Amino acid sequence: MVESALPIVADGLQRHFGSGDDIVKAVDGVDLQIQPGEIFGFLGPNGAGKSTTVRMLTTLLRPTGGTGRVAGFDIVTEADSVRRNIGVALQDAAIDPLMTGNELLRLQAVLYGFPKAQHHQRAGELLERVGLTAAGDRRVGTYSGGMRRRLDLALSLIHEPSVLFLDEPTTGLDPMSRISLWEEIRRLNNDGTTVLLTTQYLEEADQLAERIAIIDHGVIVRKGRPTELKAEVGSPTLFVTVDESSHQIATGLLAKFGDLRPSPEGSLGVGLHEGPSAVSNVVRELDDAGITVGNLELREPSLDDVFAEATGYRLEGAES
Amino acid sequence: MTSPVAAAPLTPTRAPAQTSVIAQTWALSVRSIQSLLRQPSLVIPSLIFPLFFAALGTSSFSRAIELPGFPAVDSYLDFALAGAIVQGILFGSTTGATALATDIENGFFDRLLASPSTRTGIIVGRMAGGMAYGAFQTLFFVLVLLPFGLTIKGGVGGVIGLMVSGTILALAIGALMSAMALITGSSEAVQGAFPLLFIALFFSSAFFPRETMSGIYGTLADLNPVSHLVEGMRDLVIEGVSASALARAILVPGVLAVISIAVSLRALRHRLGAS
Repeated sequence: MVESALPIVADGLQRHFGSGDDIVKAVDGVDLQIQPGEIFGFLGPNGAGKSTTVRMLTTLLRPTGGTGRVAGFDIVTEADSVRRNIGVALQDAAIDPLMTGNELLRLQAVLYGFPKAQHHQRAGELLERVGLTAAGDRRVGTYSGGMRRRLDLALSLIHEPSVLFLDEPTTGLDPMSRISLWEEIRRLNNDGTTVLLTTQYLEEADQLAERIAIIDHGVIVRKGRPTELKAEVGSPTLFVTVDESSHQIATGLLAKFGDLRPSPEGSLGVGLHEGPSAVSNVVRELDDAGITVGNLELREPSLDDVFAEATGYRLEGAES
Repeated sequence: MTSPVAAAPLTPTRAPAQTSVIAQTWALSVRSIQSLLRQPSLVIPSLIFPLFFAALGTSSFSRAIELPGFPAVDSYLDFALAGAIVQGILFGSTTGATALATDIENGFFDRLLASPSTRTGIIVGRMAGGMAYGAFQTLFFVLVLLPFGLTIKGGVGGVIGLMVSGTILALAIGALMSAMALITGSSEAVQGAFPLLFIALFFSSAFFPRETMSGIYGTLADLNPVSHLVEGMRDLVIEGVSASALARAILVPGVLAVISIAVSLRALRHRLGAS
């Protein structure tokens, strides 16, 4: 596929703030090629450059270097065409609390140029789609966090965009609201919408995204399918719980099977170089040495491990 | 690298509907008035305080009108109306700009910018809402004060002149404070700048004629455009419609409006390019 026909392309995209010694390289040369119909997860710690990248791709911020094309249009020279073809739900559900859901949707319909006759119907359909029909005539200020996000999503869908940008769509939501939003995103994606999703939640990226990129200090440090990235981190970790008194001997034995890894209090961790098949040998060795194994747990590398290895951070909501 | 192949829009989305600038601007104006009306705590002070000042002045300064240098009026109320209108509009326009700053803070402004609406439509919509409110305020003060002995020598023509002047003033102050909102992106900063407007009002002939002032106060009032604006409006009330009254009532806010619109468009460009 020719690159210019991809829904989202970034080529050396760059955004610096300030100049001289005070220069802040918020985004420093990001390359992205997102395929049609894909859900692409954009991960990174706070301040890594996720939102700045999204703001550039959605025409809200001019790049200081590099180029980008969204829905086939240049994000700088054809910004207006980009805007017509994308849906944007930015961080924190940016909605005027004094307006009702219905009013906001109708305003959105005007802004996207729908004829007046269609406003009412369109607003009604979208409210139904996100399950807010009953709350449509209430002011947004009375909505719960989950309801605001759903309305925000509905607002970004008014013109059936082919490309959807969701900037941390579930941050601060309770688990039930999060799952219901995930379902809606999947449904949109099944209908053919390309989604770029930024998130701080590894589980969210794991659940939704076919491919992810991890950004840190304005640079993409990992990119690929979650499964591939996990495999790259390498071997699974075996956690063994043994008596305090035998820790020293056990540690020595475990070291023969791979590198020792950080583990929860009271247990020992080892990265098995030969993979899961080594578990029985470990147990046998320990048994032969007269050490009683209290608990045994084998953990495949998680996206959290990928993330930690790439950035040196562990994120909120990580499994371990 | 981006290939030289002509970029085709990815999906055969419906041909982008023609966006009507007028419809957008109208919808945004309606929204800005609606959101103003839904915050009575912001609207009521801009309607009540000027009346309160006018009432207080009328009861306290009833004999001040006999002072040398005071224009010939039947009641201080006739004299006070112009100051009350200007005061109300300074309040009201700041409220509109604060709402813009709030839009910027909570991100709604970004949602507007990410839509294919025109950049100026977003600002003009805000301004138009503020102008409609300015016209309403002017009429409101006139109608409320009429039963209390207000006489407008300029008659209906004078009231229309006042409303035009008030509307343009609302635009000028709204644009100025919006520039502040666009530059700082902070509603606190906009509200924090409000006392400056009030100082401009107090160092003017809004409450007393310049003829009664002396020293530095008098000099400041002479230089203050608010003085000339208020006097133009006041002449419509106490003398009648004249070319000189209309010129001052309309040209002064008109010039202010041109300058502040230029400043706020510049601030908008800056926000879009560099923020």
